[in-house]
Amino acid sequence: MNITVCAKQIPDPANETSYDNGIIVRPEEQVLDDTDRYGIEIALQLKEKFDAEVTIISMGPAGTMKGLQQALQMGADKAFYVDDDSLKGANSLMTANVLSELAKTTNADIVIFGTESTDGYSGTVPQQVSRFLNLDCISYVKAIEIGDDVSLTRQTSEGSEKVKMPQNCVISVTAGGVEPRYPNFKDIMAAKSKPIEKVELSTLNITTDQNLEFISIEALENSKNGEKIIDEGEAFQVIVDKLKELKVI
Amino acid sequence: MKTLILGEILNGTLSSGTLEIIKKAQDESLDYQVVTIGSDDDPTIGSKSFKQTYIKRSSESLQFSKVTDLITKIVNDEGINLILGSSTYLCRDLISFISVDLNSSPVSNVIDFEINGDAVSTINSINGGESLYKSKIASNHSLLLVRPKSFEPADVELNNNFETMEVENSDVAIFDIYKEEKTGPQLEDSKVVISAGRGMVDKENLVIVEELAAKLNAAIGGTRAIVDAGWMPYSQQVGQTGKTVKPDVYIACGISGATQHQVGMKDSKFIIAINKDEEAPIFQLADLGIVGDTLSVIPKINQNL
Repeated sequence: MNITVCAKQIPDPANETSYDNGIIVRPEEQVLDDTDRYGIEIALQLKEKFDAEVTIISMGPAGTMKGLQQALQMGADKAFYVDDDSLKGANSLMTANVLSELAKTTNADIVIFGTESTDGYSGTVPQQVSRFLNLDCISYVKAIEIGDDVSLTRQTSEGSEKVKMPQNCVISVTAGGVEPRYPNFKDIMAAKSKPIEKVELSTLNITTDQNLEFISIEALENSKNGEKIIDEGEAFQVIVDKLKELKVI
Repeated sequence: MKTLILGEILNGTLSSGTLEIIKKAQDESLDYQVVTIGSDDDPTIGSKSFKQTYIKRSSESLQFSKVTDLITKIVNDEGINLILGSSTYLCRDLISFISVDLNSSPVSNVIDFEINGDAVSTINSINGGESLYKSKIASNHSLLLVRPKSFEPADVELNNNFETMEVENSDVAIFDIYKEEKTGPQLEDSKVVISAGRGMVDKENLVIVEELAAKLNAAIGGTRAIVDAGWMPYSQQVGQTGKTVKPDVYIACGISGATQHQVGMKDSKFIIAINKDEEAPIFQLADLGIVGDTLSVIPKINQNL
């Protein structure tokens, strides 16, 4: 079984996101999007059961490749990435186009994603990739049970539903369903010798274009300068009074 | 502009997210029709005001690929340029699939849009609602995922008259459906919402929030952190990846106010925040901020109501 996991390198979420002409500014050193750790964990659990190979694919400025290293440290076997200036600010469809083509080069049976990246939040790329690859998409997976068969529990608006994992499919994983593993020192050292290979964009079949023109970013004044009270044991009364004033009680 | 609105069903009728988009389409005088996807047997989704087509799927298998084929065909046959859906699990999937068929990237997290002649421009909320991002769509088709609560719901009379298209089953069988029990007021339409965050320290402590919610007839929400930790089901998550709420009163208990959370609640009419950390970003949004321990403040409120 070949399992391919899409992983995104993102600016450290602890820092404020900045934009240049509508495009997120990406520092040299980016980190693995935490959202992707859930997908990698599921891939590794499948690998333990079915003797699979786990390949990471990624698109975006490679920089120091810290994020890709972090993915390999968790236990993925190798990584392929595309880093091309022409993809700067690529829309979700182009991103999905590139990742689909990369997934093809890995002969993936199963392609796994987080549901949405922490920096972009479009939440459409996994589904778009499934359509490009003509595979079933099992979206919003929040739990996995691995026996002789694999069953996936999908989140729905009303609750959840289970499906048997098809032999070939795209899966998007929500946070929280599995507990991503932490690499130990040995894993971290082992990752250093795992292959990370750059794939040239020109070798991929790209059929999509940019279709979104940036106009502006406007900061909103959110601060309300509301009343702020330090609780010294009696602040509850202020809330009770306010709730009465607002006619909640 | 010829427009297709993807509709969803909740409690046998059109969801509020669908009605909100219909309102916007009416206000913009768009030439719109609705295509609703669901598995209900006899939903009340038709209307004299618009054309409604019901794509009825079974709940026995995942049929999204076939549903997508039908929608793409309608878009092409009817010369539709604008496709609108709510940012829900279902519409996110469908709009993503359709975007590949139409070779036009969708815009997610839209909170408003404008039509000028043939051009569609969109406004998204970014950085948890701290900024507005405006862009113009340069392709023939525009696909928009609209955040719930961006518009008021349309007031339309609904009936049971519409065309139905059935979808064949797929190979991916659904074998276990679980419906989350919904008791008490629901997040989306409750006048009072109380949300819990990490500051509640332990799942056991949620009982004090539940007690307060019962006294105020409030719905209970949570941050992504505590939903991920399994303290509450995903359906109760308030924020970027969860629900958007606009109650009259929002009480944030032990919530620091990460941007992810803010985007789901910042438009509440009156915000009360209780948090130990004086510097917590939630206080910037709060009309009334209490710097203190939620676990001590809430029980005292409960005793005094």
